[in-house]
Amino acid sequence: MKKVLSNPEFWRGAASIAVFLILWEIGARSKQWMAPEFFAPFKELLGAMGFKKDYLPWVGAVPAPSAVLQSWIGVLGDAGYWQSWYMSFFRVMGGFVTAMIIGIPFGLMLAVSRVSHGIAFPVFEVLRPIPPLAWVPASIIFWPTQESAIIFITFLGAFYTIVINVLGGARSIDVRYFQAAQSMGSSRWDMFRRIVLPGTLPSIVVGSAVGMGITWEVVVAAEMISGGGSQIGGTSGGGLGFFIWNSYIGGSYEQIVVGMISIGIAGYASSEMLRWLGRYATPWLKPR
Amino acid sequence: MNRGHIVIDDVVKVYDPQGAAVLAVDHCSLEIEPGEICMIVGPSGCGKTTLLNAIAGFHEITSGRIVMDGEVLCSTEKPKSAPGPDRIVVFQNGALFPWKSNLENVIFGPVVQGKLARKDAIDKARAMLADAGLAGVERNYPGEVSSGMRRRVEIVRALMNDPKALLLDEPYRALDSLTKSVMHEALLEIYYKNKVTIFFITHDLEEAIFLGHRVAIMTTRPCKPKKILNVDIAHPRDYGVLTSKRFRELIEETNDAVHEEALKAFQAGEKEG
Amino acid sequence: MEAALRAGEANGAIAALRDATPFRDAAEALLQRIAAIARPARFGAGTRIYGANDAADDIFVLVSGRVEHVFKPEVGAREAHKRMTRGGVFGWAGLLLGQTQRLASVTATEPTEVLRLDTEELVKLLESEPLEGPLVMERFATMIQREFTLPALLAQVRRLSGPLTEEMSSISLTMYRLSLWLKSPRPYLMVIGFALFLGFWYLAVEVWKLPRFREMPGVTSVVKEWLAPEPTYGLSIYTAEYYQHIWMSVWRVTQAFFLATLLGVPVGLLLGWSRKFKQYLFPVFETLRPIPILAWVPLAIVMFIATESAVVYLAFLASFFATALNTMLGVESIDESYIRAADCLGANQWQVFRHVIIPGALPFIFTGLQISIGVSWFSLVAAEMVSGQYGLGYVINTSYMMVRYPTIIIGMATLGIVGYATSAMVRIAGDYLMEWRVRELALTER
Repeated sequence: MKKVLSNPEFWRGAASIAVFLILWEIGARSKQWMAPEFFAPFKELLGAMGFKKDYLPWVGAVPAPSAVLQSWIGVLGDAGYWQSWYMSFFRVMGGFVTAMIIGIPFGLMLAVSRVSHGIAFPVFEVLRPIPPLAWVPASIIFWPTQESAIIFITFLGAFYTIVINVLGGARSIDVRYFQAAQSMGSSRWDMFRRIVLPGTLPSIVVGSAVGMGITWEVVVAAEMISGGGSQIGGTSGGGLGFFIWNSYIGGSYEQIVVGMISIGIAGYASSEMLRWLGRYATPWLKPR
Repeated sequence: MNRGHIVIDDVVKVYDPQGAAVLAVDHCSLEIEPGEICMIVGPSGCGKTTLLNAIAGFHEITSGRIVMDGEVLCSTEKPKSAPGPDRIVVFQNGALFPWKSNLENVIFGPVVQGKLARKDAIDKARAMLADAGLAGVERNYPGEVSSGMRRRVEIVRALMNDPKALLLDEPYRALDSLTKSVMHEALLEIYYKNKVTIFFITHDLEEAIFLGHRVAIMTTRPCKPKKILNVDIAHPRDYGVLTSKRFRELIEETNDAVHEEALKAFQAGEKEG
Repeated sequence: MEAALRAGEANGAIAALRDATPFRDAAEALLQRIAAIARPARFGAGTRIYGANDAADDIFVLVSGRVEHVFKPEVGAREAHKRMTRGGVFGWAGLLLGQTQRLASVTATEPTEVLRLDTEELVKLLESEPLEGPLVMERFATMIQREFTLPALLAQVRRLSGPLTEEMSSISLTMYRLSLWLKSPRPYLMVIGFALFLGFWYLAVEVWKLPRFREMPGVTSVVKEWLAPEPTYGLSIYTAEYYQHIWMSVWRVTQAFFLATLLGVPVGLLLGWSRKFKQYLFPVFETLRPIPILAWVPLAIVMFIATESAVVYLAFLASFFATALNTMLGVESIDESYIRAADCLGANQWQVFRHVIIPGALPFIFTGLQISIGVSWFSLVAAEMVSGQYGLGYVINTSYMMVRYPTIIIGMATLGIVGYATSAMVRIAGDYLMEWRVRELALTER
């Protein structure tokens, strides 16, 4: 701990975060300190430029960090808030795990078999540019429950990333490992188990960490869209995305930011957890 | 020939003084005559690259002095010298810029220093490349030619700046022995035309004796000259020297010393330097 | 009679050329041209054809007989002595970089017939054949290295030059690659893949009417709608509205992408280059980055008066993070030796930045840009679905609400196509800027 505190690098980072928060606070409260007559000409200028006259552009409409903090403390006691966490996590895990279960074998198959690569990869590449969220209506039509529809979207988001990473990882395994194994008499299955699998593991880890980030993006969006953003789907949304959208509709802007930060924390925590698991699974990799 | 007189005076280098305190160079003193080819031989990881980096200005020294042509490069008071075109390094894995053509690489030095106009630099570069037998590859990118050619282009790039000394950090380590022997002759040819001081690090004793005027055999870490050999075979030399009697004698004289250090390094489990 | 004789000679010459390694697979037309410049010659047993250090003017193709080929020792060939019969090619020293003299001496050990080809004439001929010329040269190079065991250092054949070859080289390379691709099983597997996919879709929805699939729009209805001059639901390739929506989305992504690149690349470069800057800025950057872009939607609507700006802002944000991060990684991944070399050569900080850092980071930057454009589309679509007017995301959303199911698929497919096209444009721009890397990768392709 002492080492952290005595490190100038830590203080520099802390300083900029502090500066950021201060600027945010000042900007957010611009409506208040710009009230006096003194600022009238400046306000006219803002109006002429097309912005709202009463406060600074962009940041002026945002709730201040102090207000957000207050709101957050208030919300911590609210069961609904924690339930949103749970729901989002549930969806993320569902979609992500499904993506891993289907994506890793699929990617490995494409990497190992030229024929299946030739057949499946072009179709995969054609479908990939379609953003997962564009699938929402199709997904809702197809899947019986809203929950499964959302998980499907989440699955798509992570699936592409994982497959691409597995492919890339398998391709980059040094060909000499194969040659060495062959000269020692390995069968194809053996080579797959002992070289391809462990060799691809680092890429799988990276792929999952990135995929996890994408999964959170998709979950939030799917929750907002199906829970409230448009009239798609029913009213029982739940989840942090829905929490944010609801706060917006309800006019409580501080809560919007609370929701945003919460998701940020949740996403970061899940990625870190994955990375930790990954280090545990690939002990032979030296830290860079 | 009075340029490129390098004096390494009682240099000490300690890495990470507050932490592991690794002594890399231990009171090393060595004097390199102007225009001399001085070969530094030692096992991997012994600290010879540290010496080169100190002369070049990439690393600091902990104490001692390095002086070139009367000018203090670095000392205890000023531990780090600034890298410059008076002593140019040729790197182990090659450092030709892959995104510039060979010609663009070669003219880089004089042009960025403002010493030559671009057109003049191109003319001079063409001439020097032709001189070194590299006439056809000007417009290629380094990634398109063989590694032997890349090395030679890199040396020409250095020589364009008329340096006092060339610092070569195991430049031929990654080449096969057939290519290597041709490179040695190419280097000597270049040397005979431009008498720069050459400070050449290698782990290959034969390479050292073939090329050098003097060979300094270094101890394993911490680095310090163990034995200095005067190679009294006349220049200009050609590959015939390799089978001459005197050459074999010199190897006999020094082989034990080199092997001893290599064994020590192996036992100490040195990672590749 | 003379014409027939000459024709016969020419055929004989072509046959002899075909037996020689460099010309084995060449096209008939090319061989005819080469045969036209070939001069036959005869040597008696024991005659010396040429000696080492003679001028390297002609290349010889052995038609019949036997010669002995002895390299001079300086050359360093693994096999100094070589016996050659029909199909052997010697006297090619003139094709090597920097060589004007013979590397070997050659003597006929039996009565021998050869075809002599003037080196410069042959090179000119090959230069005028943009597709085949370089291939023949490559075969010469392979032959010299393998059959004559010359060290790689010496066996560098000259590059064919000339405006025609240079200009055509990338086109001809692409054409050559295309022809190789067509000959491989890949295009047919691809067709099978698509057929399976579309076939399954068709069967599942329209023929077998599987439980969940029945409700979905079928392939035929989508295709019919898409290509209909008077579409039932108002959107097809014939309607202006379709292109309006495409244009809106593309325009938004373009704005977002350019803003993000303009801001992201310099920020990334600074983050990678200056340690202090990174220490100050990176923590703030990393705190904001994990917040999913779409979580910003309500706040963006609040912040920006016009929905248009809000939508572009969201796409911009996603792009910005991806670009800045990848640029930073690119700078950090540059091998230190390059920077040190530039320092040695007398470059100041700014010159190092311009000549080493930026070109060195470019590959990573372009990877980042490709990711960034993908991410940009991703955010844009979501934003459009929530709060847009016009745009492909909006189309998908409203089509669902108005129960126009085939149009949903049209929207999705269009998104896919446009997304892929923009990504490809970025990649092509990258290939153009980084020619050196394309060539390097081509040489190391397995």
